[in-house]
Amino acid sequence: MVRIDFNRLRFLIIDDNAHMRRILRTLLHGFGTREVYEAEDGAAGLEGFTHYSPDIVITDWAMPIFDGLELTQMIRQPGANTNPYVPIIMLTGHSEKKRVISARDAGVTEFLAKPISAKGLYQRVLNVVANPRPFIRTKSYFGPDRRRNANPNYAGPERRKGGKADVIKQQPLLDKAKTTA
Amino acid sequence: MSEADGTMSDKKANLAAVSTFADHEVILPPNKLKKAVQKVLDTDVEFDPVAKAEAALAELSQDFSAWMGQECDRLDAARHAMRAGGINQGTRDGLFLAAHDIKGQASTFGFPLVAPVADSLCRLIEHTPDMARLPLALVDQHVDAVRAIMTRNTRGDSDANAARLSQKLRQVTDEFLAYENRDRPDHLEAILSPALAPG
Repeated sequence: MVRIDFNRLRFLIIDDNAHMRRILRTLLHGFGTREVYEAEDGAAGLEGFTHYSPDIVITDWAMPIFDGLELTQMIRQPGANTNPYVPIIMLTGHSEKKRVISARDAGVTEFLAKPISAKGLYQRVLNVVANPRPFIRTKSYFGPDRRRNANPNYAGPERRKGGKADVIKQQPLLDKAKTTA
Repeated sequence: MSEADGTMSDKKANLAAVSTFADHEVILPPNKLKKAVQKVLDTDVEFDPVAKAEAALAELSQDFSAWMGQECDRLDAARHAMRAGGINQGTRDGLFLAAHDIKGQASTFGFPLVAPVADSLCRLIEHTPDMARLPLALVDQHVDAVRAIMTRNTRGDSDANAARLSQKLRQVTDEFLAYENRDRPDHLEAILSPALAPG
């Protein structure tokens, strides 16, 4: 059985609603986390992300001016920051299919619909920590692999092209672009 | 191992493994969160983090009624701001965000019957294509319903009147949205499709 030592994780909560920030902080402290930082909008969240280097970001979607989706896109932008791979848990009242797909395509790692529960939050954190997904970079996407499972019944065309390549330890292209820019 | 070897090994550990294909890269980032994974025996159930977090939230719950009251006041203020200032992007967003927060928090605060009313109001605001046609009377009915259910302290989900009111508001809202979006079949389908996100 796998358990998470929350004491070794640093969280950044971004939500414009003070009550929701307090609830999230309470749950995370209950799990055993000590380091929880807060920001009340997307812009402050981006600044906090750079300043605190959190292990996991939990962000609301609906925030004035600079929302959680835009924040995710900024974090996932190649060369924009030191950890574009950071797990992002999107906590939101939006649960429509169109919204979930938009969040996924922006590079969100996990989606958690409100109302929040301790179990739901724990499972999302467990997932990003114990079962990290590889990242995919294409011309139009950079983020966690959107294919969570191989579907044996899938009958459509293979959209990813190219044979299996050797796996080598190297600097990803986005890091190269960052260091040579 | 020399210091130089150690540094080299640290650098290697921080590198991602990259597989390059014709039109995409598969990147395995260094797993920095591995430090937090603990393997324990199935019998080791001394510490249950979920139960501990739930207990912490229960301690906080004495504040929930007051918090719900503050959220309802904010919604009411947003409604009055729209009435006074007219329907514009600012008043629309203010009303939407206030309703959206209530939709997400009401159940946590112990007012589950408020959540569907706030959800219906969010749908009305979000899916009315022409903002100027937002029916203020229907907005008022939603806000009044939220306040009524909250003020009467209708906790739990057993109040039949609150449930009936909520269903009626949702029905009227859906009929209005169906009419307003009658020339946008794709949008209408998206509006009426079931929720997807897991809680």
